[in-house]
Amino acid sequence: MWLPIRIDEQRPEPLYHQIEVQLRGLILGGQLKEGTLLPSIRELAVSLKCSAITVRRVYQDLENEGLIRTRQGTGTFVAGVGTVAREEHRLERVTEELEKAIELGLQLQCAPEEIETAFRQALHRKSTERGGDAT
Amino acid sequence: MTVANMEAAISLRGMKLQHDRFALGPIDCDIPKGMVTAIVGPNGSGKSTLFRALLGLEPVLSGEAEVLGTPLNGNQEDQYKSRIGFLAENPHAHENHLTADEKAKFASRWYPGWDWEKYRKLLRHFDVDGGIRLSKMSKGMRRKAELSIAMAHDPELLMLDEPSSGLDPFAWKTMLQELGRYMEPGDRTLVLATHILEEIKRLADYILFIYRGRVLGLYEKDRLLDDWRTIVVQIEYAQKGGSEMLQRTPGFQGLTEAGPGLYRLEVDEPERGEAYCRDNGFQVLAVQRMDLEDILSCLIRKEEARR
Repeated sequence: MWLPIRIDEQRPEPLYHQIEVQLRGLILGGQLKEGTLLPSIRELAVSLKCSAITVRRVYQDLENEGLIRTRQGTGTFVAGVGTVAREEHRLERVTEELEKAIELGLQLQCAPEEIETAFRQALHRKSTERGGDAT
Repeated sequence: MTVANMEAAISLRGMKLQHDRFALGPIDCDIPKGMVTAIVGPNGSGKSTLFRALLGLEPVLSGEAEVLGTPLNGNQEDQYKSRIGFLAENPHAHENHLTADEKAKFASRWYPGWDWEKYRKLLRHFDVDGGIRLSKMSKGMRRKAELSIAMAHDPELLMLDEPSSGLDPFAWKTMLQELGRYMEPGDRTLVLATHILEEIKRLADYILFIYRGRVLGLYEKDRLLDDWRTIVVQIEYAQKGGSEMLQRTPGFQGLTEAGPGLYRLEVDEPERGEAYCRDNGFQVLAVQRMDLEDILSCLIRKEEARR
Protein backbone atom coordinates (compact mmCIF):
# COMPACT_ATOMS: atom_id res chain seq x y z
CA MET A 1 0.00 0.00 0.00
CA TRP A 2 1.09 3.57 -0.57
CA LEU A 3 1.57 5.90 2.41
CA PRO A 4 1.39 9.70 2.12
CA ILE A 5 4.85 10.25 3.59
CA ARG A 6 7.22 12.81 2.15
CA ILE A 7 10.89 13.28 2.89
CA ASP A 8 12.15 16.84 2.73
CA GLU A 9 15.89 16.82 2.13
CA GLN A 10 16.13 20.50 2.99
CA ARG A 11 15.07 19.80 6.58
CA PRO A 12 17.86 19.14 9.02
CA GLU A 13 16.05 16.29 10.84
CA PRO A 14 17.41 12.81 10.07
CA LEU A 15 15.44 10.72 7.59
CA TYR A 16 14.25 8.15 10.13
CA HIS A 17 12.91 10.95 12.30
CA GLN A 18 10.99 12.55 9.41
CA ILE A 19 9.42 9.22 8.48
CA GLU A 20 8.66 8.30 12.07
CA VAL A 21 6.91 11.59 12.84
CA GLN A 22 4.73 11.33 9.73
CA LEU A 23 3.82 7.68 10.19
CA ARG A 24 3.02 8.27 13.87
CA GLY A 25 0.87 11.19 12.74
CA LEU A 26 -1.04 9.02 10.26
CA ILE A 27 -1.78 6.46 12.97
CA LEU A 28 -2.62 8.85 15.80
CA GLY A 29 -4.53 11.10 13.44
CA GLY A 30 -6.75 8.15 12.53
CA GLN A 31 -5.91 8.14 8.79
CA LEU A 32 -4.54 4.63 9.26
CA LYS A 33 -7.16 2.52 11.01
CA GLU A 34 -6.49 -0.28 13.45
CA GLY A 35 -5.61 -3.50 11.67
CA THR A 36 -4.30 -1.84 8.49
CA LEU A 37 -1.47 -3.85 6.93
CA LEU A 38 1.59 -1.64 6.49
CA PRO A 39 4.04 -2.05 3.58
CA SER A 40 6.94 -4.44 4.14
CA ILE A 41 10.22 -2.85 5.20
CA ARG A 42 11.76 -3.22 1.75
CA GLU A 43 8.64 -1.96 -0.01
CA LEU A 44 8.50 1.23 2.07
CA ALA A 45 12.25 1.74 1.75
CA VAL A 46 12.04 1.55 -2.04
CA SER A 47 9.09 3.91 -2.26
CA LEU A 48 10.69 6.48 0.08
CA LYS A 49 14.16 6.04 -1.48
CA CYS A 50 15.67 5.37 1.90
CA SER A 51 17.41 2.32 3.28
CA ALA A 52 15.75 -0.72 4.79
CA ILE A 53 17.72 -0.03 7.96
CA THR A 54 15.96 3.31 8.36
CA VAL A 55 12.50 1.82 7.89
CA ARG A 56 13.29 -1.03 10.26
CA ARG A 57 14.30 1.52 12.87
CA VAL A 58 11.03 3.44 12.41
CA TYR A 59 8.96 0.24 12.69
CA GLN A 60 10.89 -0.80 15.79
CA ASP A 61 10.35 2.57 17.49
CA LEU A 62 6.63 2.61 16.70
CA GLU A 63 6.28 -0.98 17.82
CA ASN A 64 7.90 -0.05 21.14
CA GLU A 65 5.38 2.76 21.45
CA GLY A 66 2.60 0.25 20.90
CA LEU A 67 1.36 1.92 17.72
CA ILE A 68 2.07 -1.01 15.42
CA ARG A 69 2.66 -4.72 15.85
CA THR A 70 4.41 -7.32 13.77
CA ARG A 71 2.98 -10.78 13.32
CA GLN A 72 5.55 -13.35 12.30
CA GLY A 73 5.13 -14.22 8.69
CA THR A 74 2.10 -12.03 8.02
CA GLY A 75 3.43 -8.51 8.29
CA THR A 76 3.18 -5.29 10.25
CA PHE A 77 -0.21 -3.92 11.29
CA VAL A 78 -1.56 -0.74 12.86
CA ALA A 79 -2.43 -1.38 16.52
CA GLY A 80 -5.41 0.01 18.41
CA VAL A 81 -4.74 3.54 19.66
CA GLY A 82 -6.38 4.91 22.81
CA THR A 83 -8.36 8.15 22.81
CA VAL A 84 -5.96 9.70 25.33
CA ALA A 85 -2.95 9.13 23.09
CA ARG A 86 -4.85 10.60 20.17
CA GLU A 87 -5.80 13.73 22.14
CA GLU A 88 -2.24 14.20 23.35
CA HIS A 89 -0.97 13.84 19.82
CA ARG A 90 -3.29 16.57 18.55
CA LEU A 91 -1.86 19.09 20.97
CA GLU A 92 1.69 17.94 20.36
CA ARG A 93 1.29 18.45 16.63
CA VAL A 94 -0.14 21.94 17.04
CA THR A 95 2.61 22.91 19.46
CA GLU A 96 5.23 21.63 17.06
CA GLU A 97 3.90 23.68 14.14
CA LEU A 98 3.56 26.79 16.30
CA GLU A 99 7.14 26.39 17.43
CA LYS A 100 8.26 26.36 13.80
CA ALA A 101 6.38 29.62 13.15
CA ILE A 102 7.83 31.23 16.28
CA GLU A 103 11.32 30.15 15.27
CA LEU A 104 10.84 31.89 11.94
CA GLY A 105 9.55 35.02 13.67
CA LEU A 106 12.55 35.18 15.96
CA GLN A 107 14.88 34.62 13.02
CA LEU A 108 13.26 37.63 11.34
CA GLN A 109 13.95 39.62 14.51
CA CYS A 110 10.30 40.01 15.52
CA ALA A 111 9.67 40.91 19.17
CA PRO A 112 7.68 38.36 21.22
CA GLU A 113 4.81 40.87 21.49
CA GLU A 114 4.70 41.26 17.72
CA ILE A 115 4.56 37.50 17.29
CA GLU A 116 1.79 37.25 19.86
CA THR A 117 -0.26 39.94 18.12
CA ALA A 118 0.29 38.25 14.76
CA PHE A 119 -0.79 34.93 16.27
CA ARG A 120 -4.02 36.39 17.70
CA GLN A 121 -4.85 38.11 14.44
CA ALA A 122 -4.20 34.98 12.41
CA LEU A 123 -6.26 32.87 14.80
CA HIS A 124 -9.11 35.33 14.62
CA ARG A 125 -9.01 35.57 10.84
CA LYS A 126 -8.89 31.80 10.31
CA SER A 127 -11.68 31.13 12.80
CA THR A 128 -13.91 33.72 11.14
CA GLU A 129 -13.17 32.17 7.74
CA ARG A 130 -14.29 28.84 9.10
CA GLY A 131 -17.38 30.40 10.64
CA GLY A 132 -16.16 29.68 14.16
CA ASP A 133 -16.57 31.99 17.13
CA ALA A 134 -13.09 32.22 18.64
CA THR A 135 -12.18 35.62 20.09
CA MET B 1 34.84 -2.40 9.38
CA THR B 2 32.02 -4.42 10.85
CA VAL B 3 28.32 -3.80 10.88
CA ALA B 4 26.82 -4.49 14.29
CA ASN B 5 24.37 -7.38 14.84
CA MET B 6 24.44 -8.40 11.25
CA GLU B 7 25.24 -11.66 9.59
CA ALA B 8 27.75 -11.20 6.79
CA ALA B 9 27.19 -12.56 3.28
CA ILE B 10 30.74 -11.66 2.36
CA SER B 11 33.51 -11.31 4.86
CA LEU B 12 36.98 -10.07 3.96
CA ARG B 13 39.92 -9.94 6.37
CA GLY B 14 43.03 -8.29 5.01
CA MET B 15 42.36 -9.77 1.60
CA LYS B 16 45.03 -8.94 -0.98
CA LEU B 17 45.22 -9.68 -4.68
CA GLN B 18 47.92 -8.90 -7.17
CA HIS B 19 47.74 -8.50 -10.92
CA ASP B 20 50.66 -7.55 -13.10
CA ARG B 21 49.49 -3.95 -13.12
CA PHE B 22 47.06 -3.73 -10.27
CA ALA B 23 47.07 -4.43 -6.55
CA LEU B 24 43.83 -4.80 -4.62
CA GLY B 25 43.69 -4.57 -0.87
CA PRO B 26 44.29 -5.20 1.88
CA ILE B 27 40.51 -5.12 2.20
CA ASP B 28 38.67 -5.56 5.48
CA CYS B 29 34.91 -5.48 5.41
CA ASP B 30 31.71 -7.40 6.09
CA ILE B 31 28.95 -7.08 3.54
CA PRO B 32 25.73 -7.66 5.47
CA LYS B 33 23.24 -10.33 4.51
CA GLY B 34 19.71 -9.26 3.59
CA MET B 35 20.89 -5.83 2.50
CA VAL B 36 21.80 -3.93 -0.64
CA THR B 37 25.40 -2.76 -0.73
CA ALA B 38 26.55 -0.41 -3.48
CA ILE B 39 30.24 -0.41 -4.35
CA VAL B 40 31.20 3.08 -5.38
CA GLY B 41 34.51 4.40 -6.63
CA PRO B 42 36.17 6.03 -9.64
CA ASN B 43 37.04 3.91 -12.69
CA GLY B 44 39.93 1.61 -12.03
CA SER B 45 39.31 1.40 -8.28
CA GLY B 46 39.14 -2.37 -8.40
CA LYS B 47 35.39 -2.98 -8.35
CA SER B 48 35.39 -5.56 -11.14
CA THR B 49 38.52 -7.24 -9.77
CA LEU B 50 36.79 -7.52 -6.40
CA PHE B 51 33.82 -9.27 -8.05
CA ARG B 52 36.14 -11.65 -9.86
CA ALA B 53 37.86 -12.47 -6.59
CA LEU B 54 34.54 -13.20 -4.89
CA LEU B 55 33.74 -15.60 -7.71
CA GLY B 56 37.04 -17.38 -7.12
CA LEU B 57 38.45 -16.19 -10.46
CA GLU B 58 41.38 -14.31 -8.90
CA PRO B 59 43.65 -16.06 -6.44
CA VAL B 60 43.70 -14.51 -2.98
CA LEU B 61 47.32 -13.62 -2.28
CA SER B 62 47.00 -13.11 1.45
CA GLY B 63 44.34 -12.55 4.09
CA GLU B 64 40.98 -14.27 4.22
CA ALA B 65 37.84 -14.10 2.13
CA GLU B 66 34.57 -15.86 2.83
CA VAL B 67 31.52 -15.83 0.56
CA LEU B 68 28.23 -17.32 1.80
CA GLY B 69 30.20 -19.19 4.45
CA THR B 70 32.68 -20.69 1.97
CA PRO B 71 36.32 -19.71 2.56
CA LEU B 72 38.09 -18.83 -0.69
CA ASN B 73 41.43 -20.49 -0.09
CA GLY B 74 42.10 -21.86 -3.53
CA ASN B 75 40.60 -25.32 -2.85
CA GLN B 76 37.00 -24.23 -2.44
CA GLU B 77 34.38 -26.27 -4.26
CA ASP B 78 32.59 -24.49 -7.08
CA GLN B 79 29.31 -25.38 -5.42
CA TYR B 80 28.97 -22.08 -3.53
CA LYS B 81 28.81 -20.29 -6.87
CA SER B 82 25.52 -21.93 -7.73
CA ARG B 83 24.01 -19.80 -4.94
CA ILE B 84 25.31 -16.62 -6.56
CA GLY B 85 23.89 -14.70 -9.50
CA PHE B 86 26.40 -12.58 -11.36
CA LEU B 87 26.14 -10.02 -14.13
CA ALA B 88 29.54 -9.06 -15.54
CA GLU B 89 30.33 -5.54 -16.63
CA ASN B 90 30.88 -6.61 -20.25
CA PRO B 91 29.15 -9.37 -22.19
CA HIS B 92 31.21 -12.42 -23.05
CA ALA B 93 32.10 -12.55 -26.74
CA HIS B 94 32.09 -16.36 -26.77
CA GLU B 95 28.35 -16.26 -26.06
CA ASN B 96 27.57 -13.98 -29.01
CA HIS B 97 26.26 -16.80 -31.19
CA LEU B 98 23.79 -17.99 -28.53
CA THR B 99 20.23 -16.82 -28.22
CA ALA B 100 19.12 -15.69 -24.76
CA ASP B 101 17.11 -18.92 -24.38
CA GLU B 102 20.15 -21.02 -25.31
CA LYS B 103 22.29 -19.26 -22.75
CA ALA B 104 19.49 -19.77 -20.21
CA LYS B 105 19.50 -23.49 -21.05
CA PHE B 106 23.19 -23.73 -20.17
CA ALA B 107 22.56 -21.83 -16.96
CA SER B 108 19.62 -24.07 -16.06
CA ARG B 109 21.90 -27.13 -15.98
CA TRP B 110 24.38 -25.48 -13.67
CA TYR B 111 21.99 -23.90 -11.13
CA PRO B 112 19.89 -26.33 -9.05
CA GLY B 113 17.45 -23.53 -8.19
CA TRP B 114 16.81 -22.63 -11.83
CA ASP B 115 13.20 -21.61 -12.47
CA TRP B 116 12.05 -21.37 -16.11
CA GLU B 117 8.84 -19.70 -15.09
CA LYS B 118 10.79 -16.98 -13.28
CA TYR B 119 13.08 -16.56 -16.31
CA ARG B 120 10.10 -16.15 -18.68
CA LYS B 121 8.42 -13.70 -16.31
CA LEU B 122 11.57 -11.58 -16.12
CA LEU B 123 11.95 -11.57 -19.91
CA ARG B 124 8.31 -10.52 -20.29
CA HIS B 125 8.65 -7.76 -17.73
CA PHE B 126 11.81 -6.53 -19.47
CA ASP B 127 10.14 -6.90 -22.85
CA VAL B 128 12.84 -9.16 -24.32
CA ASP B 129 12.44 -11.83 -26.99
CA GLY B 130 14.53 -14.77 -25.77
CA GLY B 131 14.77 -16.27 -29.26
CA ILE B 132 17.10 -13.59 -30.57
CA ARG B 133 20.86 -14.07 -30.73
CA LEU B 134 22.73 -12.12 -28.07
CA SER B 135 24.97 -10.57 -30.72
CA LYS B 136 21.94 -9.29 -32.61
CA MET B 137 20.51 -7.55 -29.56
CA SER B 138 21.08 -3.89 -28.74
CA LYS B 139 23.31 -3.25 -25.75
CA GLY B 140 20.38 -2.54 -23.46
CA MET B 141 18.37 -5.52 -24.73
CA ARG B 142 21.27 -7.89 -24.09
CA ARG B 143 21.74 -6.39 -20.63
CA LYS B 144 18.10 -7.12 -19.81
CA ALA B 145 18.39 -10.68 -21.12
CA GLU B 146 21.57 -11.37 -19.14
CA LEU B 147 20.09 -9.85 -16.00
CA SER B 148 17.06 -12.13 -16.34
CA ILE B 149 19.38 -15.13 -16.62
CA ALA B 150 21.40 -13.99 -13.59
CA MET B 151 18.24 -13.72 -11.49
CA ALA B 152 16.26 -16.75 -12.67
CA HIS B 153 17.64 -19.15 -10.03
CA ASP B 154 16.70 -16.74 -7.24
CA PRO B 155 20.29 -16.64 -5.93
CA GLU B 156 21.07 -15.98 -2.27
CA LEU B 157 23.65 -13.44 -3.39
CA LEU B 158 23.25 -11.31 -6.49
CA MET B 159 26.28 -9.40 -7.72
CA LEU B 160 25.79 -6.89 -10.50
CA ASP B 161 28.60 -4.98 -12.17
CA GLU B 162 27.22 -1.75 -13.63
CA PRO B 163 23.80 -3.32 -14.28
CA SER B 164 22.16 -0.26 -15.76
CA SER B 165 24.70 0.51 -18.46
CA GLY B 166 22.88 0.73 -21.76
CA LEU B 167 19.39 0.64 -20.24
CA ASP B 168 16.83 3.24 -21.26
CA PRO B 169 14.93 4.99 -18.43
CA PHE B 170 11.95 2.63 -18.73
CA ALA B 171 14.07 -0.50 -18.56
CA TRP B 172 15.97 1.08 -15.69
CA LYS B 173 12.76 1.51 -13.74
CA THR B 174 11.77 -2.08 -14.45
CA MET B 175 15.15 -3.18 -13.19
CA LEU B 176 14.71 -1.25 -9.93
CA GLN B 177 11.31 -2.89 -9.47
CA GLU B 178 12.69 -6.36 -10.08
CA LEU B 179 15.60 -5.79 -7.71
CA GLY B 180 13.19 -4.50 -5.07
CA ARG B 181 11.09 -7.62 -5.53
CA TYR B 182 14.20 -9.79 -5.30
CA MET B 183 15.07 -8.23 -1.92
CA GLU B 184 11.54 -8.54 -0.58
CA PRO B 185 11.92 -11.88 1.32
CA GLY B 186 14.57 -10.18 3.46
CA ASP B 187 17.27 -12.88 3.32
CA ARG B 188 18.67 -12.06 -0.11
CA THR B 189 21.83 -10.02 -0.55
CA LEU B 190 22.50 -7.65 -3.42
CA VAL B 191 25.90 -6.17 -4.17
CA LEU B 192 26.15 -3.80 -7.08
CA ALA B 193 28.87 -1.64 -8.53
CA THR B 194 27.45 1.50 -10.02
CA HIS B 195 28.20 5.10 -10.94
CA ILE B 196 24.56 6.12 -11.07
CA LEU B 197 23.88 8.16 -7.96
CA GLU B 198 20.12 7.93 -8.31
CA GLU B 199 20.41 4.15 -8.39
CA ILE B 200 22.43 4.17 -5.18
CA LYS B 201 19.97 6.53 -3.53
CA ARG B 202 17.02 4.36 -4.44
CA LEU B 203 18.47 0.93 -3.82
CA ALA B 204 21.36 0.91 -1.42
CA ASP B 205 21.30 0.28 2.31
CA TYR B 206 25.09 0.40 2.59
CA ILE B 207 27.77 2.05 0.49
CA LEU B 208 31.26 0.64 0.17
CA PHE B 209 33.63 3.32 -1.12
CA ILE B 210 36.73 2.01 -2.79
CA TYR B 211 39.61 3.88 -4.35
CA ARG B 212 42.86 2.63 -5.88
CA GLY B 213 42.21 -0.87 -4.61
CA ARG B 214 41.53 0.18 -1.02
CA VAL B 215 38.37 0.48 1.03
CA LEU B 216 37.69 4.05 2.12
CA GLY B 217 34.76 2.98 4.25
CA LEU B 218 31.54 1.02 4.52
CA TYR B 219 28.72 3.34 5.48
CA GLU B 220 25.03 3.09 6.19
CA LYS B 221 23.66 5.19 3.35
CA ASP B 222 20.98 7.19 5.15
CA ARG B 223 23.28 7.93 8.05
CA LEU B 224 25.90 9.16 5.61
CA LEU B 225 23.42 11.47 3.90
CA ASP B 226 22.06 12.64 7.27
CA ASP B 227 25.41 13.29 8.88
CA TRP B 228 27.56 14.81 6.19
CA ARG B 229 26.93 18.53 5.75
CA THR B 230 28.60 21.51 4.19
CA ILE B 231 28.68 24.51 6.49
CA VAL B 232 29.35 27.81 4.71
CA VAL B 233 31.06 30.20 7.11
CA GLN B 234 32.15 33.78 6.86
CA ILE B 235 35.25 34.83 8.75
CA GLU B 236 36.18 38.43 9.54
CA TYR B 237 38.74 39.41 6.93
CA ALA B 238 41.30 40.51 9.50
CA GLN B 239 40.79 37.54 11.82
CA LYS B 240 43.98 35.57 12.23
CA GLY B 241 44.13 31.79 12.33
CA GLY B 242 40.53 31.41 11.29
CA SER B 243 41.08 28.53 8.91
CA GLU B 244 43.23 26.67 11.49
CA MET B 245 40.39 27.01 13.95
CA LEU B 246 37.94 25.68 11.38
CA GLN B 247 40.12 22.61 10.92
CA ARG B 248 39.51 21.77 14.56
CA THR B 249 35.73 21.69 14.07
CA PRO B 250 34.13 18.54 15.56
CA GLY B 251 33.59 15.99 12.79
CA PHE B 252 35.93 17.90 10.48
CA GLN B 253 36.26 16.31 7.03
CA GLY B 254 37.34 19.02 4.64
CA LEU B 255 37.75 22.73 4.08
CA THR B 256 37.87 24.81 0.92
CA GLU B 257 38.09 28.56 0.51
CA ALA B 258 35.14 29.80 -1.51
CA GLY B 259 36.05 33.51 -1.57
CA PRO B 260 37.71 36.12 0.62
CA GLY B 261 36.93 35.09 4.18
CA LEU B 262 34.35 32.60 2.92
CA TYR B 263 34.83 28.90 3.63
CA ARG B 264 33.03 25.69 2.80
CA LEU B 265 33.50 23.40 5.74
CA GLU B 266 32.67 19.71 5.41
CA VAL B 267 31.72 17.86 8.60
CA ASP B 268 30.09 14.60 9.62
CA GLU B 269 28.85 15.86 12.99
CA PRO B 270 26.57 18.63 11.80
CA GLU B 271 25.12 19.81 15.11
CA ARG B 272 28.34 19.94 17.07
CA GLY B 273 30.13 21.38 14.05
CA GLU B 274 27.67 24.20 13.62
CA ALA B 275 27.64 24.98 17.35
CA TYR B 276 31.46 25.11 17.34
CA CYS B 277 31.46 27.63 14.47
CA ARG B 278 28.93 29.88 16.17
CA ASP B 279 30.67 29.64 19.56
CA ASN B 280 33.89 30.80 17.92
CA GLY B 281 32.23 33.82 16.41
CA PHE B 282 32.13 32.60 12.79
CA GLN B 283 29.05 33.57 10.89
CA VAL B 284 27.22 30.49 9.59
CA LEU B 285 25.65 31.42 6.24
CA ALA B 286 24.23 28.04 5.28
CA VAL B 287 24.17 24.38 6.27
CA GLN B 288 23.48 21.93 3.47
CA ARG B 289 23.31 18.19 3.08
CA MET B 290 26.07 16.85 0.85
CA ASP B 291 25.40 14.56 -2.06
CA LEU B 292 27.25 11.30 -2.56
CA GLU B 293 29.62 12.72 -5.16
CA ASP B 294 30.83 15.40 -2.79
CA ILE B 295 31.21 12.92 0.05
CA LEU B 296 33.20 10.57 -2.18
CA SER B 297 35.52 13.31 -3.41
CA CYS B 298 36.05 14.46 0.16
CA LEU B 299 37.01 10.91 1.20
CA ILE B 300 39.34 10.66 -1.79
CA ARG B 301 41.04 13.97 -0.94
CA LYS B 302 41.63 12.70 2.58
CA GLU B 303 43.04 9.41 1.30
CA GLU B 304 45.32 11.26 -1.12
CA ALA B 305 46.59 13.47 1.69
CA ARG B 306 47.29 10.36 3.79
CA ARG B 307 49.37 8.63 1.09
